[in-house]
Amino acid sequence: MLGAVALRHILRTIVAAWLILSVLFLLSRSTADPDSQLRNMVESNSRMGGLLEQPATSQQLLHRYGLYEPLFYATWQPATGWHWHGVQTQYHRWLKQLLHGDLGYSYRLEAPVWDVVKQALRYTLPLTLLAAALSIALALGVATATSYRPSARRWFIRVAHILQSFPLFLLALGLLLLLANPDALSWFPAFGLGPADQESTGWSRPGLLLYQLTLPIISLVLGSFPALAIQLDGALRHEFNRPYIATARAKGSSPAGIVWRHALRNAVLPTVTLLTELLPSIVAGSVVVEVVFALPGMGRLLADAALNQDFPVLLGGVGLVAMVRLGAQLLADVLYPILDPRIRPEV
Amino acid sequence: MTILLPPVKQRLAAGWLVLVVLAGLFAPSAVSPPDLANINQPPFQGGHWLGTTSQGLDVGVSLWQGARTLLLVSLPAAFFTLLAGAVLGGTAGYWGNTRLRITHFQLALALFALLLTGLLLTYFPRFAFWILAGVPAAAAVAWAFLPGSTRSATRLALPLDSSILGLIALVNSVPLLVLVVAAAAVQRPSLTGVVALLSATCWPTPARLMRAATLQCRTQPYVEAAQAAGIPSLRILWRHIGPNALPVLLVRFPLTVAVLISLETTLSFLGVGLPAEMPSWGRLLAAVRQAPPDWWLILWPGLAITLTVLSLQRISGSENRR
Repeated sequence: MLGAVALRHILRTIVAAWLILSVLFLLSRSTADPDSQLRNMVESNSRMGGLLEQPATSQQLLHRYGLYEPLFYATWQPATGWHWHGVQTQYHRWLKQLLHGDLGYSYRLEAPVWDVVKQALRYTLPLTLLAAALSIALALGVATATSYRPSARRWFIRVAHILQSFPLFLLALGLLLLLANPDALSWFPAFGLGPADQESTGWSRPGLLLYQLTLPIISLVLGSFPALAIQLDGALRHEFNRPYIATARAKGSSPAGIVWRHALRNAVLPTVTLLTELLPSIVAGSVVVEVVFALPGMGRLLADAALNQDFPVLLGGVGLVAMVRLGAQLLADVLYPILDPRIRPEV
Repeated sequence: MTILLPPVKQRLAAGWLVLVVLAGLFAPSAVSPPDLANINQPPFQGGHWLGTTSQGLDVGVSLWQGARTLLLVSLPAAFFTLLAGAVLGGTAGYWGNTRLRITHFQLALALFALLLTGLLLTYFPRFAFWILAGVPAAAAVAWAFLPGSTRSATRLALPLDSSILGLIALVNSVPLLVLVVAAAAVQRPSLTGVVALLSATCWPTPARLMRAATLQCRTQPYVEAAQAAGIPSLRILWRHIGPNALPVLLVRFPLTVAVLISLETTLSFLGVGLPAEMPSWGRLLAAVRQAPPDWWLILWPGLAITLTVLSLQRISGSENRR
């Protein structure tokens, strides 16, 4: 039962990711003719500037990036009608590489996409995982603590709604302006990692890394915990009107005991669904946050790739985000039966 | 929301929004030349009240002109988002998976129209608007008047609900921001491009709301009565279900505008949104990356975005309570 649900989710996500990546790939390759595309690639790479004047080099580059083949299996030519190309196409080659786990070669960085991504993940993994954990903890803590303090609750809900409506980059910029500004409070580094820090790997100096990630994590948490907390608060209020809460009160449970032992167990179920949105949205938020704080992570990589039209990196990043969503979905599938005995399979 | 607010705040919110709209309407369209003698100037000095950027652009004038861009992007995008949501959500909710049954002839007609549109678009991309408007209209006329639509034959059920839900799942499988950034990278969008991109990616939420509302209305006795009276489906949707389901979307209009403003400014901030020569609040904020100590580059546009988004929320809150 559980396996079937998980399998359906895996299949659905893979189909969705394949469709989105295919559409992006075909669009990115079809909007420009090979020559101007080549120029675009080479221009963003200073080492190869000026090489395009020679036709032979141009041909070599076309071969190197696999741009000499037709794009899709079948194409429509006005003169000859439909034309079938078989498997010698850019799309087929790209798909085959993708299935072998080869994400291609970055135009701009002159390195395999997978290496670039791995390098970036060293910063993004701690950032997003810590932000996700803190968001969940903060949402749980605030929603439960304010659930039996009505005046505090009203303020917290108002603040959460206001926070939720802010664009994330504004929050991050505000934090940067207040807490990492030589003119105001200079508690945190304003711009990412210095040259010395970049040489040491992210794992060898966790303290320094944590210090540099503080502000980005705070902005990600401020951006993502309100949605969780509002949902949890609504569910808790709904549970508070149920008869079993009256029973618990009547038998003399403390307010905190009622929340944690009775209401939360039921209220957390709809929130688990939000968890599937939380991780991908934090990854999306890291696009903005890493640009603001100049961290060399996955989000910055995506934003730079978008800016420079470095499509292999862009496609790899989008695929990775889709996989993160799949992971979150599977996590929720596992969590549901643990939290709710009613949907556990009978043994 | 249960919080009762003094009407002063509502009036302030409405006042700010009117101010933004007026600023957008009366903004000068000519791009003012950069004042290269006074770059990075703090506010309240010289001729530049709100300071200048590192390119010598006056922040106040950029904000003023950015208000027009804001209106030009967010209002049409919100309209098209809600329109697409209403049409797709209403279709999915009303017909479901089994209730729209068409003959083979009608299916062939629809496929032919689709193919014709595609072919015409590849050959005459310049007349895209007329093709997109004309071919579906001609197909609709043919649908209504040609025999075969009335002749009873074997009919196929169109799984509309599943396909639209599948489309929603497809768009939702990647976070909105990542999807928009990736799509904007493929082709640097123009103004209409940004509007199209935003509405093409933001419609799932209103569509889901509209589908739920339509499903609710569909089971009401008055819809059954209308169906029993033989009123055509489109008329039922427009005259009987629409007035009851559409308010669900209309109260979301300010919120949709707020979401779109956040998305658009984020895009511009990342540098993949509107073309560089268009003044926009997000691009003004992005200028701070060239000059980190210039606090006024964050303060004024940030304040403008914050006030706009909060005002929109306040307005929508007032409509929710009514």
